[in-house]
Amino acid sequence: MTLFSAIGIAGTGVTVHRKWLDAVSDNIANINNASRTNAEAFRARYVIAQEALDGNGAQVGGIVLGPQGRIVYEPDHPLADAQGYVQYPNIDLAGQMTQLIMAQRGYQANLAVVDRARDAYLAAIQLGRS
Amino acid sequence: MFDDVASAAIRVALDGLAMRQRAIAKNIANIDTPGYRARKVLFEAALAQAIADGRSPYTVRPVEARSLEPTRLNGNNVNLDQEILSNIDTGLRYQLALRALDSRYDTLRSVIRGQ
Repeated sequence: MTLFSAIGIAGTGVTVHRKWLDAVSDNIANINNASRTNAEAFRARYVIAQEALDGNGAQVGGIVLGPQGRIVYEPDHPLADAQGYVQYPNIDLAGQMTQLIMAQRGYQANLAVVDRARDAYLAAIQLGRS
Repeated sequence: MFDDVASAAIRVALDGLAMRQRAIAKNIANIDTPGYRARKVLFEAALAQAIADGRSPYTVRPVEARSLEPTRLNGNNVNLDQEILSNIDTGLRYQLALRALDSRYDTLRSVIRGQ
């Protein structure tokens, strides 16, 4: 247990949710990337959150990639192959928006913990002051 | 009389914490500077070691180190949320250390007044 540990623990949660927000924004930014069918399309990044190894807070355990791209028939597209197909990332925008809300709320919740913890520690420091 | 080990240790800690707040300010100011590595100030371990070895706390100098966090594309590795949390933590530690020093002065003040 270190001094003011609640702030550090909530801080690990803030970091995890920031990385989650980064991943979601990356997914949404790349959602309309077109690519040739013989190349690999952009795959969604999913942040895997887990308990920190030292038991104090959370950490990002790794990144898992989503499914392979989906093939769409668009013969006029400059990247279309001989059969008229192009490839798009297989990302569900509604699902990403839901994740965006969860990541944002989690971020805010951890910051609220930091706020309260700071108030509590401040009160402790001022304890016994006239 | 004002230089017992505890008071000296608190003064060194206050110096280190003040330096840490300057480092945080510098990091936030450079949050978009390409190639900038976040600075962090280390002194707690050295201070604890000095006290354990019976050396004067004044032999401890806070050290400014570069963060080894992964960088972004522009070579910068400052994280705003971590800096702000560190700022809160450092502010609390500073207040706590000030409180501790103040109570030592209070004791001396009572002695001088003879009350």
